[in-house]
Amino acid sequence: MTQIVPLNKETYRHLKVDSRAAAAFDSRRFVQVIVKEFPLLLVHYPILFSKDPQTGQFFCGAMLGFDENENLFLEDWQKRDFYRPLYLQRGPFYGNGPELAIDLDDPRVGADSGKPLFNEQGAPTRYLQSIIWAFQDLTAGTEMTKLFIARMLELKLIEPVDVEVEFDDGSMRRCVGLYTIDQDVLSRLPDTVVVELFRRGYMRLIDYMIASLKQVPVMARKKNLRLLKETEGLASAVG
Amino acid sequence: MKAGGLSITLVESPDIKIIGVGEGTWPTMRQSLERMGVSETDLFKHCDAAFKQGGKFAGWTTGAPDDSYYHPLMLPNGFAQVNLVPHWLRRSNGQSFCDFVTAQGRICDDGLAPKLITTPEYKPVANYSYHLDAGKFAPFLAQHCTQKLGVRHVLADITQVNQTESGDIRSVLTKQSGEVPGDLFIDCSGFSALLIGKTLGVGFKDCGDVLFCDTALASQVPYNTPDDPMPSQTIATAQDAGWIWDICLPTRRGVGYVYSSRHTSEDAARQTLRKYIGSDVPARKIPIRSGHREIFWKNNCVAAGLAGGFLEPLESSSIVLVELSAKLLAEQLPANRDIMDIIAKRFNDVTMYRWGRIIDFLKLHYVLTRRTDSAFWRDNVDPATIPDRLKELLALWKFHPPWFFDEFDRLEEVFPAASYQYVLYGMGFESESGPEDVLDTELQATRARQEIERQTAELRSRLPTNRDLLNKIREYGLQPV
Repeated sequence: MTQIVPLNKETYRHLKVDSRAAAAFDSRRFVQVIVKEFPLLLVHYPILFSKDPQTGQFFCGAMLGFDENENLFLEDWQKRDFYRPLYLQRGPFYGNGPELAIDLDDPRVGADSGKPLFNEQGAPTRYLQSIIWAFQDLTAGTEMTKLFIARMLELKLIEPVDVEVEFDDGSMRRCVGLYTIDQDVLSRLPDTVVVELFRRGYMRLIDYMIASLKQVPVMARKKNLRLLKETEGLASAVG
Repeated sequence: MKAGGLSITLVESPDIKIIGVGEGTWPTMRQSLERMGVSETDLFKHCDAAFKQGGKFAGWTTGAPDDSYYHPLMLPNGFAQVNLVPHWLRRSNGQSFCDFVTAQGRICDDGLAPKLITTPEYKPVANYSYHLDAGKFAPFLAQHCTQKLGVRHVLADITQVNQTESGDIRSVLTKQSGEVPGDLFIDCSGFSALLIGKTLGVGFKDCGDVLFCDTALASQVPYNTPDDPMPSQTIATAQDAGWIWDICLPTRRGVGYVYSSRHTSEDAARQTLRKYIGSDVPARKIPIRSGHREIFWKNNCVAAGLAGGFLEPLESSSIVLVELSAKLLAEQLPANRDIMDIIAKRFNDVTMYRWGRIIDFLKLHYVLTRRTDSAFWRDNVDPATIPDRLKELLALWKFHPPWFFDEFDRLEEVFPAASYQYVLYGMGFESESGPEDVLDTELQATRARQEIERQTAELRSRLPTNRDLLNKIREYGLQPV
């Protein structure tokens, strides 16, 4: 169940929210992102296009795993300071026009543990402030991302890509429904368009997306180690 | 078109209305439109277009209430590796031929669309073509051609055709826009065949002795609610003296009775149509003169569309021929007048072959009937009305079921051997088959059959309903990739 209410400091002064990454909420292999996040994502995750299954519309996302509900970075989010995409950082919060809303039924919301939202004086804590900023970024960023995608489509710069990986245990994963920048089309763009893309900041985004594909083999190694551990664990259990 | 110094002018009468019966197309339409640079999303939004996944023929074999079969647009599974016909003949277990060889009939039964909202424009999950509003399609294409492809559109009536001494057409004189000269003229004047017939005197080859239907009553039927289910197959239901088409567009149905005036009266036909629709809807009467020109390219004039010929709208063959002719013409456009006759001869050979095959294929739907309840059906099986080539094929198919290398040797066969299979075995044609026919291909057949069942289950779980997908396309559009 959900019970989404507008957040105000009078009623919800003592509310606390568990902001940590958790398997129950962050286990997904692909999460929507906005263009502003690209430089932060690039160092860990492949950034790709995919389609909303309900509307067919393209969106940008970060790949987190190979299997359904698999997030290979959960531990990194919990124990290290890896960047966590805004769509997951937002936790139980929702946008409500310019205001913020919160789902009171979300298990991360309570009065006992977690980070407080307001201080003694009723002012937003640093945590809440970061959520407010995250939503400001998401609102503007979603529109900017749509414009970026529209231009990429116009220029026929989006092409499907099959991410196919083989692991040491002999198993294979083929991730479909992913798209990336078509580098052949990119290399043939007329100069005027290249300059336009550069001035709009799109050329950097394009480069980030292309470079981020190098994270696929890195992720695959990570997954491989996991699979090996499982097999070893299984072997020792049997032995 | 400006490419290569080529310019195209379309002279169209502002007063003559389009016939607008042809609302079914073949999957070739996808390639044709894509090649022209048309957006498929625009087609759906502007032409009241819907998906078509094949034809369902009801009452053609016995006329019993449960008598129906599918001619789907997907080839039988593994068609290039194995001919499933002998396998079906030996162990159908009561399963229809269509269901034995493809998932598409069952998708149609479930009212499902042939693709997903995430499938790119023109790409199928299951093969498809369109049902569309021809009255909207024509201006839609005209706009695309004038705005994007540089075609000049002259709205004017032709009053006179000027010829050279050799008989070539030099120009057409119009009432509103003066003289329009040209090197090559494409006669799209419809039934009147102004250039190819009236001017150049090319005769008309009537084939009413093979295909009896000569009249159509066309009507448009509204839905009861905007969410009425929409079949994605053209439904053709046999009647006493012809058959009724039933096509679902997003906003209405197109329903019409194609009949033989030698076998029923107009009043009786109207009565039959009313009974089928269940209410009194106005129906426009359209004469059908089944047949085609004796040649399609004479001098510097090529006939396209109805000017070239027309057959009853069974299997949507009319628009396919327009597409194939346009493609052939575009690919082999003569570099100069001197070589035009050579190309014309080849064009005539190919086009004549295609008309012949279409006539054979349409007749096939009639000759396999076991109905004897009316003169129309009895007359249709009279050997004197069956083309010799079709007779031979029927004799051959009794022992050699058609498959893709047998007799279909042309590069662009209008109807592939698979289509013949669907009609033949949908109508219970009996081919003899012995154990030796299946021995070598058991493994491929088993694999193909497993794949069909797997595909059917997967498609049934993934595909949206036809209506839902069309609504979504109108709201969000399809992506180009």
